[in-house]
Amino acid sequence: MNVKTIIENAIKEGRRKLLEHEAFEVIRAYGIPAPETGLAKTPEEAAELADKIGYPVVLKIVSPDISHKSDVGGVILNVNSKEEAVEAFNKIQENVKTKAPGARIVGILVQKMAPKGLEVIIGGLRDNIFGPVVMFGIGGIFVEVLRDVSFRIAPLSEEDAIEMMKEIKASKLLEGYRGQPPVDKKSLAKIILGVARLLEENPEMESIDLNPVMAYPDKAIVVDARVILRLK
Amino acid sequence: MLDKFFNPQNVAIIGATPREGKVGRVILENFKKRYKGKIYPVNPKYEEVLGLKCYKSVKDIPEEVDLVIIVVPAPIVPKVLEDAGEKGVKVAIIISGGFRETGTEEGEKLEKQVIEISKKYGIRVIGPNCLGIYDNWSGVDTFFLPDEKMMRPRKGYISFISQSGAFASALLDWMALKGIGVSRAVSYGNKIDVDDIDLIEYFGEDDKTKLIIMYLEGLKPGRGRLFIEKAKKVVQQKPIIIYKAGKTARGSVAAASHTAALAGNYELYKAAIKQAGLIEAESFDEIMDLSKILLSQPLMKGDRVYVVTDAGGVGVMLTDALTMQGFTLPRTPDDLKKELREILPPHCIVENPIDLTGDADDKRYIDVLEKLLPRNDVDAVVVVALPQIPGLKGELFDYMVEAKTKYSKPMIVIMIGSHEAEKYGKFLEEKGIPVFESPERAARALKALYAYSLIRGVVSKKQE
Repeated sequence: MNVKTIIENAIKEGRRKLLEHEAFEVIRAYGIPAPETGLAKTPEEAAELADKIGYPVVLKIVSPDISHKSDVGGVILNVNSKEEAVEAFNKIQENVKTKAPGARIVGILVQKMAPKGLEVIIGGLRDNIFGPVVMFGIGGIFVEVLRDVSFRIAPLSEEDAIEMMKEIKASKLLEGYRGQPPVDKKSLAKIILGVARLLEENPEMESIDLNPVMAYPDKAIVVDARVILRLK
Repeated sequence: MLDKFFNPQNVAIIGATPREGKVGRVILENFKKRYKGKIYPVNPKYEEVLGLKCYKSVKDIPEEVDLVIIVVPAPIVPKVLEDAGEKGVKVAIIISGGFRETGTEEGEKLEKQVIEISKKYGIRVIGPNCLGIYDNWSGVDTFFLPDEKMMRPRKGYISFISQSGAFASALLDWMALKGIGVSRAVSYGNKIDVDDIDLIEYFGEDDKTKLIIMYLEGLKPGRGRLFIEKAKKVVQQKPIIIYKAGKTARGSVAAASHTAALAGNYELYKAAIKQAGLIEAESFDEIMDLSKILLSQPLMKGDRVYVVTDAGGVGVMLTDALTMQGFTLPRTPDDLKKELREILPPHCIVENPIDLTGDADDKRYIDVLEKLLPRNDVDAVVVVALPQIPGLKGELFDYMVEAKTKYSKPMIVIMIGSHEAEKYGKFLEEKGIPVFESPERAARALKALYAYSLIRGVVSKKQE
């Protein structure tokens, strides 16, 4: 499915938020790297997908009625075999049935687990005055507590995106600390520009949260994506 | 088109009145004092106002009218604007309040009507609910505040755009007192038409404007991107200093996403200010500090700042303040050290900050500046001249005025004190050498000059 169809379907169904696998598909279409994923409807499908993707994988509930997946036991990390995948699938279904009874279940997402990197947040939104704007921050307390983020108004250049990263107070973390090598700022910049372009080219999109994005010395990968639409 | 607002051949004042204390009278009086073109009072109640023939309607005026100024009560504004439209008038300043700003249905409705009429006739509108224009060159002055309440500043090259009328008038009054020259000022109120973008474009091309000050609460919806685009061009010609008011987060937007929760109104404006290349003033004091340095000083080719002081303590304070602004004071190069050693008594310190100590006199300063100012590895000089020491008799300041032209290198002064400081400070500022009362303010102003130099691309790559 292409981006327009995904958005249209969601709007038709009255969903403000794209389902996670839809969000991944949308960002991938704009050259934003996301881990390999697949949507499983049965435990067997989950096991097959897990085998195909390669371990370890993560299983996540996909439901239009659940926005905080972890809170309802909808996420299981570090799944390392076919058997574990089947088990995890059943466990998630059970959890959701008890903790979010009545929630519609579209399926369970099987996703390649990204190794630990520096967690950053890249976001975007459509502002009433400025139109599409993008945001960058480093995950955890830097964003949550210190609100250490920077913004730019689209359109922006790669140079602007790099400058955004240098602008946050904790930017030194991007340069590597305690012997860590610096993260790949160019890959992060590419994601920032992708977010700007997504908003510019899809007026139905209201905001995008890529949180977290794992940044490594040679690449960056989006681990969780949330795309909010504006319903008429 | 906008030029007709500032340089009209004639004006019609709709709502002109002889009644004391009324806005329609103050505006007419002010025009009579300074405006050279023809003035047409319009008011159906009078045959004559303050000695001028008064017209029942703008349509009765026997020639084409360039600018109409509307000061009638809000409910009558649509009618008189319609008249102006029929007359073929193309620009109008609507001073009257009582529109959207009242938050009433009636006000909203009237404003909509005014917008429709102005579109129908292609009339450009400043206002409503504003003070309008103060133009020091043409004498257009719709700031309805009498001279005895608001001093008019002298002619100059600062223009400003204010979303607050009261702030604009207070600033004019204050600048008048301080002897700061003003070119044109605009308070646009509800800005149903002419807005920040139009005005920075106009001032950008205006040869009577060398620096623009903006007091902004908010741009109109959807205008943000164009504002950045236009401002980017203007700042390549002249600096724009912006004071953004309303810095607190917008509480009303329900945050559906993380990004939205973090994107406060001010955060986005800060990004826009940076992208557009505007210089942000963070306080009222700063508006003036930044204005005077940007208006009077050449751009900096690098960030190498030298300090010459007669007070070691202030030298240290200044070093701290400059460092906090991101400057690194270079160490005095060996050749310069040697030269300075030759001309200075042994107890003076030739390392930057160069300390001439309390027994310094005019000549000692002049000798050192003569060595510093011609050098290519000196990008700006801060002279700390505390006038309490007996040796400073004024010669230094005469020299600085000459040196400003001779070397065209950024040079500012810090002076702390009473009568002497005030006297010399005034002298220097009149000659275009900015004087600051504190090291912190001086450092912040110098930083703004450097930031603007970067925006203008004159800082050499190696230095950047």
